[in-house]
Amino acid sequence: MTGDPPSIPDPAISIRDVSMSYGSRRVLDRVGLDVHRGEILVLLGGSGSGKTTLLKHVLGLTKPDSGSIRINGVDITSCSPSELAAVRRRIGVAFQAGALFNSLSVEDNVALPLQELTRLADSTIKLMVWMKLKAVGLSDAVGLYPPELSGGMRKRAAVARAMALDPELLIFDEPSAGLDPIVSAGVDELILFLKRTFRMTILVVTHELESAFHIADRVAMLHQGRLIAVGTKEQFSATDHPRLRQFLDRQPDPVAGEFAGAITSQLRKVRI
Amino acid sequence: MTLLEQVGRSATGYAEDAGALTIQFWTVFRKLPRVLPIVGKRRRWRSAVQQMFAIGASALPMAGIMSLCTGFILALQGASELRRFGALQYVVDLVAVGFTRELGPLITALAVSGRSASAISAEIGTMVVTEEVDAVRVMGLDPVEFILAPKYLAALITLPCLTVLSTLCGIFAGYIFLAFSIEMTLRVYVHAVAESILLRDITFTLVKSVVFATIIVHVGCLEGLRVRGGPEAVGLSTTAAVVKSTFLVILADLAATAIFYLMGWSAAA
Repeated sequence: MTGDPPSIPDPAISIRDVSMSYGSRRVLDRVGLDVHRGEILVLLGGSGSGKTTLLKHVLGLTKPDSGSIRINGVDITSCSPSELAAVRRRIGVAFQAGALFNSLSVEDNVALPLQELTRLADSTIKLMVWMKLKAVGLSDAVGLYPPELSGGMRKRAAVARAMALDPELLIFDEPSAGLDPIVSAGVDELILFLKRTFRMTILVVTHELESAFHIADRVAMLHQGRLIAVGTKEQFSATDHPRLRQFLDRQPDPVAGEFAGAITSQLRKVRI
Repeated sequence: MTLLEQVGRSATGYAEDAGALTIQFWTVFRKLPRVLPIVGKRRRWRSAVQQMFAIGASALPMAGIMSLCTGFILALQGASELRRFGALQYVVDLVAVGFTRELGPLITALAVSGRSASAISAEIGTMVVTEEVDAVRVMGLDPVEFILAPKYLAALITLPCLTVLSTLCGIFAGYIFLAFSIEMTLRVYVHAVAESILLRDITFTLVKSVVFATIIVHVGCLEGLRVRGGPEAVGLSTTAAVVKSTFLVILADLAATAIFYLMGWSAAA
């Protein structure tokens, strides 16, 4: 079950033996994972499973204690800052709360990477921004400021900004967190649309089961810093791995009660 | 925890503060040229100008009124003593010299530290919490250049300007007092002020205000960047920013004044 499907050469992201500890607490324990080109891989995990930490490593925001992370063949744990910057230019990230700059309008937020990192003319940038906002269905919110946006709109604006530089790889952190089921389903459709239309490789980090199974080509599951399962949706649903089964069936932890309990309570919070 | 442990822990805390401040100081100062107009990036300069309005222009009424009041207080207190010797005209020297050398830069710095050190740390702290700082880094931009440097430049330019204006307010308060008490005319007053202040005093004031500006923006940014966790951490950081910057401003004032005194620069010619 943990074995990868027939290996496709040159994965977009290749994580090898990544370990990381905060003090004596092991947050990631020899995690190994490949994200293949053109697929949507959903990284599932409960609170405290280490999925946010793994995401920060993939973005190069923190460095692992050991192991390597290759993005497009470049090892971002050991490359120079300029190489890292080059890798990052080809990645778009939609953060959990959007991370839009409050002092800039939606249009300027999306335009920012283009203005800062390219030498395009202002008129070209304006057109590109409009196209990105159109793609995420926000073309009429151009002049609004982030505090004026609803949760779903903010997420869409964040996706538009993440796509500004036409990245090959899009990363979503908790795309459905804090959204109602309808808006959340809309974001799922957007993710599928982006994959179909732009043939992007997409990595989604979430704890939302339904959304995960709806959008994923493959699912990976982190538990207490270990990658306990990787596979297709079908493999996942048919699993007899006890931990996985428990997570999928949403059963609370009989012994500690903390793991599944924490997840289900979180899920409930989101659902209400 | 034993006493020794407590002492040790707070000592390492201060050492860490000092170390972090030094590192941040050099990283930001290396990036400052990129914010300057013409040689730097246009967008950075534009955001520095925005910051100048936030840090400087909007603090002007408050700093001005504080100086006006302090100037008046100084004149009143001085007059009650000097009147006994029939030396009321020395109120001019008291206010003029007192403000140019000491009160002007100090009061302005305290006003700005209360307003802007907290505002800066709240703004940056919120950016940390909402992952905006991470977003800047992931976009391949340098957060030091993008977020910190414009604020530094803005503070370094506006605080000396504010200091000059609020010093003028303080000195003007002395005139108001004298105009009412001994009907001194503005022309006489300005003449007397010009005679009592030396160019050296003005340079001293400007040097001090640049030092204070550095402290305020520096502490504000550092406390903001240190925020970890949720929104309540932002509140704590703003308090820490105001307390630390006010404390350091007064400490630096003492140090600067002592140096000037010991070098004999502050002696009247």
